[in-house]
Amino acid sequence: MNDPKTGDILIHWEETMKKLLKLTSAVALGAVLGTAAVAQELYAPNLAYRTGPFAATGIPLMNGQADYLNMLNARDGGIGGIKINSEECETGYSTEKGVECYEKTKAKAIVTQPWSTGITLQVLPKTNVDEIPILAPGYGFSPMADGKVFQWAFNTPSGYWDAASMILQYLQGQGDLNGKKIAFLHLDHPYGKEPLPLLEKKAGEMGFELVPIPVGLKEMQNQSAQWLQIRRERPDYVVMWGWGAMNAGAITEAVKTKFPMENFIGVWWSGHDADVKIVGEAGKGYKSISWSFPNPDAPVMADIKKHVVDAGLSQSNEEEMSGVFYSRGIIISAILAEGIAAAQAEFGTAEINASQLRWGLENINMTEERIAELGLDGMVPPFSTSCSNHTGHSGGWMLEWDGSKFVKASDHLMPDTSDYAELIATKAGEYADANAPWPTNDACEG
Amino acid sequence: MFYRTAGQFKTSYKADQALFPVRQDAILLMVILAFAWVVFPLTASEFTFQTLLIPVLIYALAAMGLNILTGFAGQLSLGTAAFMGVGAYACYKLITIFPWMNPIVAIMLSGIFSAGIGVAFGIPSLRIKGFYLAIATLAAQFFLVWLFEKWAWLYNYNASGAIQVPNIEMAGVWISGPQASSITQYYVVLAVVTIMTILCINLTRGTLGRTWKATRDMDIAAELIGINLMKSKLTAFAISSYIVGVSGALFVFMWRGAAEPNLFDIQLSFRVLFIAIIGGLGSIMGNYLGAILIVGLPVVLNIVPSALGIPISSATVEHLNIMIVGALIIFFLIIEPHGLNQLWRLIREKLTIWPFPH
Repeated sequence: MNDPKTGDILIHWEETMKKLLKLTSAVALGAVLGTAAVAQELYAPNLAYRTGPFAATGIPLMNGQADYLNMLNARDGGIGGIKINSEECETGYSTEKGVECYEKTKAKAIVTQPWSTGITLQVLPKTNVDEIPILAPGYGFSPMADGKVFQWAFNTPSGYWDAASMILQYLQGQGDLNGKKIAFLHLDHPYGKEPLPLLEKKAGEMGFELVPIPVGLKEMQNQSAQWLQIRRERPDYVVMWGWGAMNAGAITEAVKTKFPMENFIGVWWSGHDADVKIVGEAGKGYKSISWSFPNPDAPVMADIKKHVVDAGLSQSNEEEMSGVFYSRGIIISAILAEGIAAAQAEFGTAEINASQLRWGLENINMTEERIAELGLDGMVPPFSTSCSNHTGHSGGWMLEWDGSKFVKASDHLMPDTSDYAELIATKAGEYADANAPWPTNDACEG
Repeated sequence: MFYRTAGQFKTSYKADQALFPVRQDAILLMVILAFAWVVFPLTASEFTFQTLLIPVLIYALAAMGLNILTGFAGQLSLGTAAFMGVGAYACYKLITIFPWMNPIVAIMLSGIFSAGIGVAFGIPSLRIKGFYLAIATLAAQFFLVWLFEKWAWLYNYNASGAIQVPNIEMAGVWISGPQASSITQYYVVLAVVTIMTILCINLTRGTLGRTWKATRDMDIAAELIGINLMKSKLTAFAISSYIVGVSGALFVFMWRGAAEPNLFDIQLSFRVLFIAIIGGLGSIMGNYLGAILIVGLPVVLNIVPSALGIPISSATVEHLNIMIVGALIIFFLIIEPHGLNQLWRLIREKLTIWPFPH
């Protein structure tokens, strides 16, 4: 025992053990505190996708969402004095994982954010039975706008039919569409097919020729065949419903085939800065309709910088934070926060439950003043929801790539919802019939 | 000691050829069945049903179908997912065309459609072998998924292009669709899988199974001793595709609730193939072991960090998960290339002679 070496080793060992003990007790304490804190927080999980083939688009969105809620937690101590736990459950955009995450989180969750059309389709019927609101901002099933049928589903502030309507309106503003030809380049997937019923209807009414060009999931990165077809068809405009690798593939192919970029318009999920950045100057004129806009001067950005970024809580970076998708993440969380706040005010309790949040999401009133109050100046158009209108139809702006970033290229556009109000009602009715018994909200009027 | 077979004398041919000639095997099976039929359903949570119990059974059934073809008859197939898709779409069409049809009957019938398609794509196997056959089945994979996308009649001209499982009632209980409870669906799946397993065990022990094995081991020799290769290969394709088709119908109707064409993409084929290979080609039990590993492991790995209270982001867990599962697959294949089934066989052998090894 007097051997100095053995003694050293023993002391060293003792220290290591002490450290280990400390660590385990800290972990145990953390677990205890974690469970203790459950009672005083609102659990709003996010089925995030930071891995897998769509991670490049998922990461900025998730960062924006997380940063906004973390900012509220740090600045105001949450919403209505209660912290928001915006834990992420990783899906990798896989439907199977998504459903697993839904099952895992549904016991405590007040909302579910499925983040992919595939997961939305699977979770949608389940939320109606489990009675959890499903928040799918700007994606999912367009007929979800019908709040009477889809009581638990929200695709605020704009749906795909809104997007198609606004794009056509914008194009009409550029010159009469009668006799023109529009190629509709879309992902061959439920998501890409969403706007087809409306586009087909409008093609007849407005007198333009619609050429749907599907891009299979396996062809996303190699669209030479599709662009050959576009060259042969010589359309006046190309409208794109693309996602993930398809966007960058289409944009590079458009540049390669020298398609005039100013006649190339994407939906909001095709307006990711990184996708256009790879072609840089050559992508100048490319457009994307959007219901969100990055405004680096908005007060909310300063608050996020102060409370989240400087505190080291953000996973984002400067370049990403100036992009369209990061700011869209912020808007999505802001919509959720507004729903929570509305529910808290109505029910007089900070600890709202899922069905109270449903009421809140149905009664969002994002006026110009409220947007300014939240510090979201110019980042989202005003909108309001009601029990029959779960989308809000906020309208949006046409964004244009100026060679290095997206800028607003139009005034606030409003979709012509009367065009497809009937379509929404029929499709929603069909869905309810196919899934009978499907409880609807008959108490809702208007 | 635990698995001593000494003293278990067989006094009749019948006893000698019993399914489980060793008493301990029969007891073990009884215990497993008791767990599957009584203990799990009574104790499992909604989450366990949806992420472990139901998918393990369905994947095991799909792998069993593939194993008949690849493990027993030696015909490599990469089109499993597409045949599952045929089963699922057939079931959907049956249910929507004949709404009065009993859903379990529909599920069982849907396998017939996939068996037909399987035989059609199995015809090339009479001329080509090995990798070339794998490529022919790959053609089935791509062609069928393409068909699911393009043939709008299959999904009743749905705008979304996806099929949605309706709520179906049977004897006053919801058995499919969002209204159905997990426990009902679990029992339906378990019943179907149990019946199919008994069928498979008996088939592979009988004439047909022996014919398949002869074809697998050396087709020329098999032909010389009078085995009709065409019959042997095509029955393997038919029965395999039937089982795979039923598993596809269960996959969508009893578990997923909705399906898009790309659900039946090649990834799913590979997943089922991995289960069959890791479980052990040419075995029935291996399919279950493989399915438990491939389906269960990621779920368990996902729960572990949060259960221990380790603050780790969900994305990191996912990355770790992929690495660990990948490493484990390689590890198992190196230490036991014949699959988990062989591993169990070795353990059993060691237990039989324990504590006095040779």
